[in-house]
Amino acid sequence: MPTLPEGSIQLEHIWKSYRADLAVPQFYDQLKRLTRSVRSSGRPNHRWVLKDINLEVEPGSSLALIGINGSGKTTLLKVISQVTYQTAGRRIVQGRIGALLSVASGLHPDLTGRENVFLYGTVLGMSRQRIRQRFDEIVEFAELTDAINRQVKFYSAGMLVRLGFSIAAFLEPAVLLVDEILAVGDANFQQKCLKRIGEIVREGTTLIYVSHDLASVEASCSRALWLADAVVQAAGPTNEVLQLYRDSIEQNAVLTSSSEGEVRVLKVELRATDGGQLRSGCDMEIRLTLNSPEPTDAMFFIGISQGTAFPMFVVAHHGVFPAGDFEVRCVLEHLPVPKGGYSIWAAMTGAKAKVLLPWNPLMQFDVFGPAALPAPEGVMIMTPIYVEAQWQVN
Amino acid sequence: MASIVEPGPSGWDTLQLGDPSTVPAEPPSELLYHHQTRFFASLRRLWAHREIVYTLAERDFRAQYKQATLGIMWALLSPVLTLAILIIVFSRAKTFGTEHLPFALYAFVGILCWSYFAASLGTGGNALLTNKALLSKTQFPRECFPLGTMTVSGINTVLSWIPLAILFVVFGRAPAIATLWTPLFMAIEVVFAAGVTLAVSGLIIQMRDLVQVLPVLISLGLFVEPVIWPFYRIPKYLQPIYSFLNPLGPVIDNVRRTMLHGWAPNWGLVGIAALGAVTYLLLGYRIFKRLEVQFADIA
Repeated sequence: MPTLPEGSIQLEHIWKSYRADLAVPQFYDQLKRLTRSVRSSGRPNHRWVLKDINLEVEPGSSLALIGINGSGKTTLLKVISQVTYQTAGRRIVQGRIGALLSVASGLHPDLTGRENVFLYGTVLGMSRQRIRQRFDEIVEFAELTDAINRQVKFYSAGMLVRLGFSIAAFLEPAVLLVDEILAVGDANFQQKCLKRIGEIVREGTTLIYVSHDLASVEASCSRALWLADAVVQAAGPTNEVLQLYRDSIEQNAVLTSSSEGEVRVLKVELRATDGGQLRSGCDMEIRLTLNSPEPTDAMFFIGISQGTAFPMFVVAHHGVFPAGDFEVRCVLEHLPVPKGGYSIWAAMTGAKAKVLLPWNPLMQFDVFGPAALPAPEGVMIMTPIYVEAQWQVN
Repeated sequence: MASIVEPGPSGWDTLQLGDPSTVPAEPPSELLYHHQTRFFASLRRLWAHREIVYTLAERDFRAQYKQATLGIMWALLSPVLTLAILIIVFSRAKTFGTEHLPFALYAFVGILCWSYFAASLGTGGNALLTNKALLSKTQFPRECFPLGTMTVSGINTVLSWIPLAILFVVFGRAPAIATLWTPLFMAIEVVFAAGVTLAVSGLIIQMRDLVQVLPVLISLGLFVEPVIWPFYRIPKYLQPIYSFLNPLGPVIDNVRRTMLHGWAPNWGLVGIAALGAVTYLLLGYRIFKRLEVQFADIA
């Protein structure tokens, strides 16, 4: 077997099972586990978290792992980094691994920021000498110049994330594993982190990135692997895999839309007011036909999403809605979305936050126009945008 | 490029779809992962990560005294207080005999030796549990956790030799020249403590009941060891086997012999104790490495 170059990852038929959760482990089971080889046959209570995963990553490439919660992404990272051991299969990773699987767990609350830089840096695999050399850069990156001598328990959540990520950002491993760590922290710092991750990849580090934030996945990884129910669903170029993944989420969303509210949607119509194609910058008219058993004083919400359940923006209107069939017409002026596939969502909330129409996707539509918004490499485009809207209720 | 049996999604340029229906329900048995622990490879890996042991020790040591007004002074005060209690409780009960030595001095030497072992086992045995968060997020050798806490216990023990020096002054005595053997005895103790601590810290992950049993066993140990009774009370013919099974016994005895009496070490028993300690270490390390495969999963 020829050795692989530094920074490559090769997984062959990786399987991983966890034992089923037993609230009270039986003493007898424990004795049995101790007396026989742990991995031998007959795992009575277990569930497979990863099944037959094959993966080859070349040095210097960037791979995103996507999938819903519990699909095995983090476990796969843990197997790659050998935090945990696979149940079956072969794992080869060449070179030093830097695994940032959690931002705050390595930080000790009673120690100061400075002490924690050394603690966490060493634990993640940096030599103390290297930490000393890069200490100032780490502190500067974390924007903690004033607070670095303060005990970490007095840090805000955002400061903890900044400290944790900054230490990891200067690890210089051959393989960098990053697990969903940017969820906290403000938008500015997220941008900075993505930029730093981009730099690390350009310097030749192999990146494996786990995130639910598909925008950041798109910004930082050229390849993606979609895991669902412990198996690989799709692998390939990021945009193609993401497309499949988004479609599956949308399908699920439509499937789960229930009829729990009183108000029902009868019909959804979308068109450009000038009669042309739906395209970026046009005025988009949304006509919803609904039915309500009684007149209501309610808040009406319409949102547009790009696949995931989080809307890019929501517009809302407070009004009195009649009983029986009625129509809501809403014009979104200068439709502020780039070319792509989108979903339209609606919800209606009555007095005392009573849900009249639950927040559900109504239909998918395509927007034509110029290619997706251009952005500098490694920059994630955040989507909270303000949209001018005119409302009318008939 | 390496050739593998069935290439996975290696051609990343085109979209490849997985087919869940082709995935078997269980992995074929020839693929099952067998955790191999090669002793010297493990040691090399541990040596390469030695900075982590220091760092974890430093973390625990610093955190231990953070925000305490007296700070690091407590490392000196705690053994003095223990000694004070011991003197108060046992000063009148000299039934065990102290070999014509002041009881405080006699007992304190025993306690110093014993407390290192007790602290190592008490904190080190639980080290994997208390570091659960790190354990499940990092990949360095797991031995670093118990060895880190053992280092802290070591520092605390070294610091508590200072009150011992004070005690010598109080009783107007000087340690004998044979005291220079002490590091050797302590080394035997460290090896013994490491073996037991490694085994217990690994087993405790599997058997949480040990968390409750451990303190009881440790406090029992205070009476099993010749801390407040003299070693010569053990029948001569039992001494070798006792020394092998419990290397700490001859360690305590020989520290007293050399430091307080100025006698030569009892080399026979010291040798047996060293042999026992090494056996414990090899066995403990083996148990630890064998169990480590599931630490992160069930801790």
